Amino acid sequence: MSMVPSRNWTNSQDRCDLKGSRRDRGETPLAPVISYLNLGQNVMNRGRSLPVVFLGPALVVLIVLALIPTIYAINISLQNRTLSAPDSDYVWFANYIALFSDARFLNALWVSLKWEVISVSLTMITGIGLGIAMFEAASPRWRNILCFLFIIPVLLPRVCAAFVWKFAVHPLYGSVTWPVRALTGQTPDVLASPNSALFTVAFVDVWQWGLFFAVIVLKLLESLPPQPIEAARIDRIKGWRVHRYITLPMLKLPLISLTLVKAIESLRSFDLVYVMTRGGPGISTETLDMYAYSQGFIEAGRISYASSMAVIMLVISILMFSTIWKRIGT
Amino acid sequence: MRPGTLILRAVLILAGLVVVIPLLWTLLNAFKTNADLLVGTPKLFFTPVWDNMDYVLSRRSVARALQNSLIICSSAVVIGAVLGVPAAYVIARIKNRATREAQFFALSLRFMPPVAVAIPMMVIWISLGMYDSRIALIVTYLTITISITIWLSVPAFERVPIAVEEAARVDRLGPYATFFRVALPIARMQVLSAIAFSFILVWNEFLLALMLTTSKAKTLPIVASEMSQLGMNVPWGILNAAVVLLSLPPLILLALVGRGMNTAFSKKSPQD
Repeated sequence: MSMVPSRNWTNSQDRCDLKGSRRDRGETPLAPVISYLNLGQNVMNRGRSLPVVFLGPALVVLIVLALIPTIYAINISLQNRTLSAPDSDYVWFANYIALFSDARFLNALWVSLKWEVISVSLTMITGIGLGIAMFEAASPRWRNILCFLFIIPVLLPRVCAAFVWKFAVHPLYGSVTWPVRALTGQTPDVLASPNSALFTVAFVDVWQWGLFFAVIVLKLLESLPPQPIEAARIDRIKGWRVHRYITLPMLKLPLISLTLVKAIESLRSFDLVYVMTRGGPGISTETLDMYAYSQGFIEAGRISYASSMAVIMLVISILMFSTIWKRIGT
Repeated sequence: MRPGTLILRAVLILAGLVVVIPLLWTLLNAFKTNADLLVGTPKLFFTPVWDNMDYVLSRRSVARALQNSLIICSSAVVIGAVLGVPAAYVIARIKNRATREAQFFALSLRFMPPVAVAIPMMVIWISLGMYDSRIALIVTYLTITISITIWLSVPAFERVPIAVEEAARVDRLGPYATFFRVALPIARMQVLSAIAFSFILVWNEFLLALMLTTSKAKTLPIVASEMSQLGMNVPWGILNAAVVLLSLPPLILLALVGRGMNTAFSKKSPQD
């Protein structure tokens, strides 16, 4: 929309209302900000205050709530603060140096990496597989029913999901372990051995997110233009090949962003681990947040040490995700 | 019918059952006595008892946690909606560098590991003397609610046809009136589901609540998780009852806005 010449503005009240008056623009103290931000150019030539009034407060609150903890975290991580003692001195990078000779920290780093890879890849495989299955084999009515069901687990509190499955795999009373008990007489405890513990927790994560992603993948497939798929069918290309060579490549970008979303959400699996294994057996499922929590709270109250871990996590994840996300966006 | 389709249907039905059966099983377990629950062979038929529910509901810690959860979550969600929905409208309607950066910033808050927020927040609230208070948790949760509301409401407003807003402008509605009387009503279902989703996120939130509360402001997930620590014998019946109660609000919200939430996650826009 083009700007209206200025002399029309003051003449007619209608014009004033419609296009915004120079007087308004001149008098508002936010005018420099608005013109700096270049807001309000396209749609809202009139009512120039709206973008700032609407967007400003939210941004200010978010910036304050993001910056202050970040600065605080960095500040604390350079000290030797503990929960028990109020005094503290600056020890600069001592915490960070200590971290990299801390076997438990390196273990947590490794576990977190394993967790990310396992949970993200299993979620994407489940989501894409079930999404395609719904697309191929389910009638619209069934799609609705399945989508409704598949959304439920992700909405449950993770604490609940964790308890549901923790009891289901209970070695003595669980319903999932019951067939093994009945057939072999053994009492399998999947949460007690290092490898199966991580995979059991990952299963619960996939139960929540993989099924939900199946719904999204189905919606993505439904949003594709039908012509290429029909053309492929006419050429007698078999079911899975259609997806392997046509639909999935078409959905490459949304699928990559889904993977990224899951990678971000996988960082938030503290509740699952906390309820199901507490990082155990031993430290085999102790992720970074679990270790930071136990250092900062349970065992020693070493707030500064935990904080330096948090800062490292923050730097890694923000750097990684921001660069990937921006690359996808452009 | 091709055999491939049959197999796919079987897989889908199996997946559906993997959702339904554990949930129904938990619901059943919530009404079992320990004698019925802690048996080697799971019991499908039993005499239901209300004891577990009664125990959970009559505990003062649960009542207080429920109150805390409701107050904290609804305040954080309402403030998040009041700040986030208008911001999303601006981001959806004005496309320039500033709004793109704003949108990315709101999104990038989700990249922050919760521990990295929780530890400094704890120190801040302790030094302000507000540790373990509802206000501390509400303010901390605003990062979640505002950013998620923005994130999910932007597509909602992008779907409002620009022609409708231009028609409103021709009818001499001001920009604020256009938002409140045209854009918001048109996008309301999706905006509502965005808000509902932000409620579910904070209702389910665990780590921040765990680290920022010790007694007074504890929320329901924390109290529920503590029930597994009552002595050596985990009271599974009580735990199942707590799980059922804690899961109810998200499921009720899903039932209320299920349709809107379904469309919110599909990328299809009406213009396509």
